[in-house]
Amino acid sequence: METADLSHHISRRFNEDLERVRSKVLGMGGFVEQQLRKAITALVEGDSSLGESVALDDHQVNNMEVMIDEECSKILATRAPAAGDLRVIVAIIKTITDLERIGDEGEKIGYIASRLATMERPADKYREIKHLGRVVSEMVHDALDAFARMDVESALRVARQDRLVDEEYEAIQRQSITFMMEDPRTIRRALDVMWVVRALERIGDHAKNISEYVIYMVHGKDIRHTSLDDVERELRSPANGAQPPA
Amino acid sequence: MQPATQAWLFAAGRLLATVVFGAGAGWLFGNLWLGLACALALHLTWMLVYLFRLEWWLRHRNYADPPDVGGVWGEIIAQVVRLHRRKRFHKQRFVQLMRQLQRSTAALPDGVVILNAQREIVWFNRMAARLLNLRRTGDLGMRIEHLVRAPEFVRYLAAGDFANPVVVRTATGEDGFLSLQVAPYGDGQLLLLVRDVSRQIRLEAVRRDFVANASHELRSPLTVISGYLETLAADPVLDAELQGPIAEMRRQAERMTAIIRDLIELSRLEETDEVVGGEPVDVAALASLLRKDVLARPVHPRDVRLRIESAAQLLGDEPEIHSAFSNLVDNAAKYTPAEGSIEIRWWTDADGAHFAVTDTGMGVPAEHIPRLTERFYRVDAGRSRATGGSGLGLAIVKHVLQRHGATLEVESTLGSGSTFTCHFPPERILPVARAAAATA
Repeated sequence: METADLSHHISRRFNEDLERVRSKVLGMGGFVEQQLRKAITALVEGDSSLGESVALDDHQVNNMEVMIDEECSKILATRAPAAGDLRVIVAIIKTITDLERIGDEGEKIGYIASRLATMERPADKYREIKHLGRVVSEMVHDALDAFARMDVESALRVARQDRLVDEEYEAIQRQSITFMMEDPRTIRRALDVMWVVRALERIGDHAKNISEYVIYMVHGKDIRHTSLDDVERELRSPANGAQPPA
Repeated sequence: MQPATQAWLFAAGRLLATVVFGAGAGWLFGNLWLGLACALALHLTWMLVYLFRLEWWLRHRNYADPPDVGGVWGEIIAQVVRLHRRKRFHKQRFVQLMRQLQRSTAALPDGVVILNAQREIVWFNRMAARLLNLRRTGDLGMRIEHLVRAPEFVRYLAAGDFANPVVVRTATGEDGFLSLQVAPYGDGQLLLLVRDVSRQIRLEAVRRDFVANASHELRSPLTVISGYLETLAADPVLDAELQGPIAEMRRQAERMTAIIRDLIELSRLEETDEVVGGEPVDVAALASLLRKDVLARPVHPRDVRLRIESAAQLLGDEPEIHSAFSNLVDNAAKYTPAEGSIEIRWWTDADGAHFAVTDTGMGVPAEHIPRLTERFYRVDAGRSRATGGSGLGLAIVKHVLQRHGATLEVESTLGSGSTFTCHFPPERILPVARAAAATA
């Protein structure tokens, strides 16, 4: 009886710890989302001070990552979680790495935005970047939502969206090459724009990674480097459907 | 006689009749006890049948009609039916009330989310689901900050100061703004109100841009006018009767320049967010500078005292702080007669740092104090026009203080003077030791 009480007590404390770390991860996610949106706004609206502030604030993301990482290590050391709980911790450690990278890419965009603000703006006012930026920030948002809700369906949807981002990336790349050939004076700007688009494409990849960790966390399946159709088929198969989500 | 009493008498009579009949029949056939036992057994069976019918009906009462029996059993059934009907009536009323409540909250143009003490979602209406992207199924029991992750909101929730709403950008879709206001109630529960304020924010931005642009546009023609007026005033061949009007025109042009300068300053203050960090401002030096400014005025109060009780420096934007403090000191100088006095005080305590300007001027009537910081607000129409104020000074003070997390307190007694105090929070103070290290 006493041991049962004790274990109950321990598991409750453990759950609280886990919940707190999850809150911190999502808080960090919220901050990264905001950084990303600000960076894109800075670029599209040519607001150099906003871009600079994004670049300056990136250290906060790094601090959050270090803090959460430490807390996860502490949980691993003191509670020695197993099965589902262990998967949650592992997924969190991986997720914050990707979030930190998204922050870095955001910093890069902010920095380039503050530089591009001083240059002449193209006729299309970065319409493509605005669109791609919105798609990518929504991917990050949905991936974090899926993380919060432990929602495999949404996670799969985010993972699928990555292909769209890759296509868009190709399209903007082709367009930039055309511009550069037409008017070599724009090459400098076009190169900067390519950096931004590349950063956005990378952010899409990181969002996809995060959604993959959600699937790993819930089903215990590592779906990296597997085709999405295979994953979906496997997750929907009855043998797997019976497995209770962690 | 009541029907129930009647039924009981009738039942008792029937039992008596059964006993008498049984005993009689038994006596006739020579075995009184057997006859009595048979009669009672029959009575009991009959009772059991009724009991069974009653129980069966109670079990199936939702769709079966009540058995049509009389007597005591009929009375019992009637009572049960009555109870049942009353209960159903109340239940229906409650359900109806609930439905009405639910429908009215669903129809609210604002989103409503109920959170428990752990900040977990307990209930939300349709508008909240739409504005915050919540899902009917599965999102109940989730912590709100897991789904509404805007850093401003998370900070607002953690700080626990729910006096004002917090405005955040919408997470997805078109660029929009949401105003989130928490109202605590009951046992640590929170009511979260969500409003779409995109339109207001956009209108506000348009208004701000308009004021800023209009002020800039007005400045250049005014410079030309002032320039010509200056040349005209200096013209030695000017008619004597024109000199008065031209001097007045110059004064008014100067006032207009002051208004436009202040308007531009205000719209600049409004455009940016709170001052983060900032440079150390030496308030003691600033105060003595402001004192010299007052003494340099053609007409000034005789006595301008400094009471610097702290060497602490203030963390903030130097030009803004200067502008705010000089506005306060200017006001005091303007409204204090030559024989009056002004006191400038700077001190720190546990609540933070304080900068106060006390004058012995005419004072402000109490009913005007809350509105003093509004733009172009005049206590009385003649007063500040005569002294050439722009009517924006205190609005600038308010904005500067807001951007530094500080507040303005006004105390005034009509006829004997006013005190304007700026309260800065402790985190805005650079302690003396660190200040010395910074300057060293």
